[in-house]
Amino acid sequence: MTDHAWLDAAAPYALGALSAEERAAFEAHLADCAICRAEVQALREVSGLLAHAAAAATPAQALRDRILREARQVRPLTARRRSLRPWIAAAAVVLAIAAGVAYVKERGNRRALEQAVAAARDSLAAQQQLVATLLAPDVNTAVLASKGRPPSARVFWNPSRHRVVIAVFDLPPAPAGRTYQLWAIQTGKAPVSLGIFNTAPDGRLTTALDVPPALVAFDVTAVTEEPVGGSPQPTQQPFLVGKLSGGE
Amino acid sequence: MAAGDERALGELYDRRAATAYALAMAIVGERADAEEVVADAFGQVWRTSAQFDPARGSVPAWLATITRTRALDLLRARGRRARAIDRAAAVGDGGLAAPLAEPGDAPDRGVERDEARRLVTRSLAELPEPQRRVLELAYFGGLTQSEIAAALREPLGTVKTRMRAGLEKLRGSLAALLSEGRS
Repeated sequence: MTDHAWLDAAAPYALGALSAEERAAFEAHLADCAICRAEVQALREVSGLLAHAAAAATPAQALRDRILREARQVRPLTARRRSLRPWIAAAAVVLAIAAGVAYVKERGNRRALEQAVAAARDSLAAQQQLVATLLAPDVNTAVLASKGRPPSARVFWNPSRHRVVIAVFDLPPAPAGRTYQLWAIQTGKAPVSLGIFNTAPDGRLTTALDVPPALVAFDVTAVTEEPVGGSPQPTQQPFLVGKLSGGE
Repeated sequence: MAAGDERALGELYDRRAATAYALAMAIVGERADAEEVVADAFGQVWRTSAQFDPARGSVPAWLATITRTRALDLLRARGRRARAIDRAAAVGDGGLAAPLAEPGDAPDRGVERDEARRLVTRSLAELPEPQRRVLELAYFGGLTQSEIAAALREPLGTVKTRMRAGLEKLRGSLAALLSEGRS
């Protein structure tokens, strides 16, 4: 069965309307299929709201007392005694503050914070890579220009690390479906791709690209605009070209 | 056990018990059984909350799933499921063990809950009858898709399609509630 056919089971599953055998088969599939998992999760949120369609009914006050009394006698399942059931704790705070939305906001904020921390960590690691690449004594540099007018770029090649850092200025982002590609050219040989890149809306970019280990010498770098994904060989005349110099 | 957790359970109860209880009533039909179901459901939430993963669903959806499952288990244990199926086949409109809310039902406590009930009831009422029916038979009646197909004398594929179409429409009409429940 294809994944698409499996998707037909998502709605009955979310409604709890699969037989035991059907459910077991679908759950086995769910373990491997992120598409169906996402669909089930979304549909389950919808089916969960059907509870609101039930005619209003209010439980006896004694029920609350009974549930709390029983909870006092049962230790929640948790391997570590001291691990708090985090969402309950979060819910307690949040429910006290406001209705509904708050829980989600808290969750969203935490997720956003985690993402920000991860992004900062990645960014720091990338910066360290850039600096390490730039500060080596044997770095070669090239200033790439287009007849003295913007855009321009600088390329720093660190042969021992097999990396280049490219810093680009005043280059508008490539149009939809296109990308920029950096080339290493050794006189008399075919250009070798050093990778693709795109600039930010402000026309700038600084990034590190890997140099193929087999490429131990080149004297010119150039930038072309290519279809997304890059090309094996340049398909147009480079609009930025620069000769490498330096290296001690 | 930390006192704060217990208080949290109390607050979760205050916020969600009425909806859970109404759902249990709609399925089991008797007050004492419905209270049993809600007590079981909150007991399960309490014991297994450490395993709850917010990334995989919201607390209300989780609680609704547990409550519904417990309610159907109780019906099964009482040997009353067969009757529910018969009724589903026999009754012309809806065929449910307990009446569902009508649009405009008397409100109960909790503004937010009223709002949710109003929206869900109205959205459900706006579905084409065949779609609404399969959703209700499955969710409140506890019938499997094959049982629904047999009861309605429709092909299984038709039942599946209606379930999917019904849920998709609700996903659209209840988008506001869904985005409240999940970021």
